[in-house]
Amino acid sequence: MPDAHFYSYDDFDRRLVAERVEQFRDQVRRRLAGELTEDQFKPLRLTNGLYLQLHAYMLRIAIPYGTLSSRQLRKLAEISRKYDRGYGHFTTRQNLQLHWIKLEQAPDAIAALAEVDMHSIQTSGNCVRNTTADHFAGAAADEIEDPRVWCEIVRQWSTLHPEFSFLPRKFKIAITGSPNDRAAVRVHDIGLRLWRNDRGEVGFEVIVGGGLGRTPMIGKTLREFLPKDEMLAYLEAALRVYNRYGRRDNLFKARIKILVHEIGVEKMREEVEAEYESMKDSALKLSPDTIEAIAQHFAPPPLRPKRTLVPEVEALKLEDRNFALWLKSNVAPHRVAGHAIVTASLKPAGAPPGDASAAQMEGVADIADAYSYSEIRVSHEQNLVLPHVAVEDLPAVYRALDKLGFAEANIGKITDIIACPGLDYCALANARSIPVAQRISNHFAALARQHDIGDLKIKISGCINACGHHHVGHIGILGVDKNGVELYQISLGGDVDFGHTALGTILGPAVPAEKVVEAVDALVTTYLEARAEGERFVDTYRRIGAQPFKDRVYATV
Amino acid sequence: MAKNLSGDLQVASANRLADGMVVFLDAAGQWTERLDRADIARNKQVADILLERARAESFTVVDPFLVAVIEDEEGRIEPLSLREKIRASGLTFAAIAAEAVRYA
Amino acid sequence: MPLFREGAATPIANDGPAPVPLADWLQDRHGAAVALANTDDVNCLQPHLADLSLIVLHFPKFSDGRAYSQARILRERMGYGGEMRATGGVLQDQLPFLLRCGFDSFESDQKGFGEALMRARTLFSVVYQPTEDGRPTASQLRLVSRRIMATAAE
Repeated sequence: MPDAHFYSYDDFDRRLVAERVEQFRDQVRRRLAGELTEDQFKPLRLTNGLYLQLHAYMLRIAIPYGTLSSRQLRKLAEISRKYDRGYGHFTTRQNLQLHWIKLEQAPDAIAALAEVDMHSIQTSGNCVRNTTADHFAGAAADEIEDPRVWCEIVRQWSTLHPEFSFLPRKFKIAITGSPNDRAAVRVHDIGLRLWRNDRGEVGFEVIVGGGLGRTPMIGKTLREFLPKDEMLAYLEAALRVYNRYGRRDNLFKARIKILVHEIGVEKMREEVEAEYESMKDSALKLSPDTIEAIAQHFAPPPLRPKRTLVPEVEALKLEDRNFALWLKSNVAPHRVAGHAIVTASLKPAGAPPGDASAAQMEGVADIADAYSYSEIRVSHEQNLVLPHVAVEDLPAVYRALDKLGFAEANIGKITDIIACPGLDYCALANARSIPVAQRISNHFAALARQHDIGDLKIKISGCINACGHHHVGHIGILGVDKNGVELYQISLGGDVDFGHTALGTILGPAVPAEKVVEAVDALVTTYLEARAEGERFVDTYRRIGAQPFKDRVYATV
Repeated sequence: MAKNLSGDLQVASANRLADGMVVFLDAAGQWTERLDRADIARNKQVADILLERARAESFTVVDPFLVAVIEDEEGRIEPLSLREKIRASGLTFAAIAAEAVRYA
Repeated sequence: MPLFREGAATPIANDGPAPVPLADWLQDRHGAAVALANTDDVNCLQPHLADLSLIVLHFPKFSDGRAYSQARILRERMGYGGEMRATGGVLQDQLPFLLRCGFDSFESDQKGFGEALMRARTLFSVVYQPTEDGRPTASQLRLVSRRIMATAAE
């Protein structure tokens, strides 16, 4: 009996992952014995998600389409205690990173993951990475279809793909099933958006060549409408074109976005369609039975409509102002009446964004067991989500999350900051991210003020690789290194909302670390003074432009 | 006052292969986790030799390299760059503790 | 460089005719062995496949995976049935991928390569992608077992 309402491995999946663990164990053994050089070993460990960072090895664990069972989350807690320092970092791509792993124990850690049908395969390297999805999938009121069915089909197809394991560069796919895109599909190598056409058929818009990093680009539409059963054939065609023609002469120009930019989306389409012609009736075409075999795993939990207006909830709203704010910012509509989607904030005031201790992970697992059909989601905004909570249980869930420190009513607010690990951990970073996030978070900790400021997304990256998605922050902060000093470049107006996807514009000269909080405060003050009724920060910025913000910031710092 | 701000003092560092920990080469050719035990090269020629020695001892470590350091009057050394300071002394904020249910 | 073929852990004799670079071979089509760069378009070999018994594909570095696509196009789309050899950066950990794409001989000087080749097809008992090696994929096998269950239930 499956323990959850999403895909669980069968014997085929289990065997493959077990065999992969043994292959990796042998590779580690050969490396420790000196039979493999670091140059030979590095790509092997990377395709198993093992990096060497500043202080230790880091293991990046895939959480496919951001969906976890309580059993899996408890195992992650156990692994972090046994093989790491008892905490983990949830990333912007629905992965969990453990930052203090030992190489000699890595095969055991990965074997422990396999016990709960998880792995770290292809979480690094120049291959197809973890496929991400809307973290509200299967629960959102606005959803057309559950994207996770398609993510799982992609997960299997992309795992140990014989042709696409040595691509020019990494390849990230995201899928959304809602008109409100919560999966950032326009900033992925390929984004798939499910939509219903005039004839009532559901298919994919295929978007190609988006991405952040050093050369941020918004993806372009490769195919307006792709029948769902053609998804794998089309992906295989697109990947083959990229494998053959993507640039390999320059690491920084190797992503598919550069190929699309250089040859143009029309030429790209021509190439992909030509390749697809010869593939579309191949074994890659998904039969209704094949789709059904995967889709049945995602049968929604048996939720019955319940009362929407619960006296205890209404009473607590009047009594506890923080609970009232929490309902506004951390609770989203569910498709079934009397239910809600709750976001547990991994951004309590002053905390490293996205970090959770083993005890906190176990606490969230307990809450999911009691109130959310044992299911947890990981959002690309580095929070955890309880997808199926009855409205009548909201007070209990709020109190339980509060005990863990995860009931901060700040989702979508100024302290719900996305930040990469930065120079404290990362070998690529130029500047620190977490301490900057902590200072901003402490400065704006007062909840009433945060709610007055309203929706404002701050995203911080410690280098131009942009793991903190600074390009698409309403306020983006990029750490740079100038002669050994950390400086922070501020940009405004980025957005990942569908239809508004935009890259931020740099405000002016970078500011020193100790001035970042003052600069952000000046931006907020400018907005508060200039905003019209109902305007968010980014709306005001779009209306009045950068100059007033710029004047205020550089008069202050 | 710190001496040698130009960074002609160098130590050899790497990450240990088996567990990834930051290590430094001492005068006896052993890798140590303690920066204060690192062998210091005081000029370019000695630094080149130090790097050669580190590479010769690299069976148990990954990719040795030189780190520029400064030395105070009491002989305490510290890396010049922020990255190497962080490598040598750890995170610059308090990481969350395993049993923490709240971030302190 | 030692040459390996499936079925033998030790190198085999490399005494066949030397493969001719594609541009030269296309001029006079002399001999039955051709060597391609990984940027060459394999489609130009379509009219000549019957004349060829060896196609050599090149990996400038093991991390440059273009020849995997060339191999699959030659095998699956063009129906090439002769020997297909991998040269250049060929390491034992790539063997499961190489075999699935249709390579059947390998030049490598990596220690232990022959032993690894003997094990490579059985390293993974499950595959997810349909390729020319004809191995049934996990999803095909699932459908078979679903049909058996359905029949048993009737």
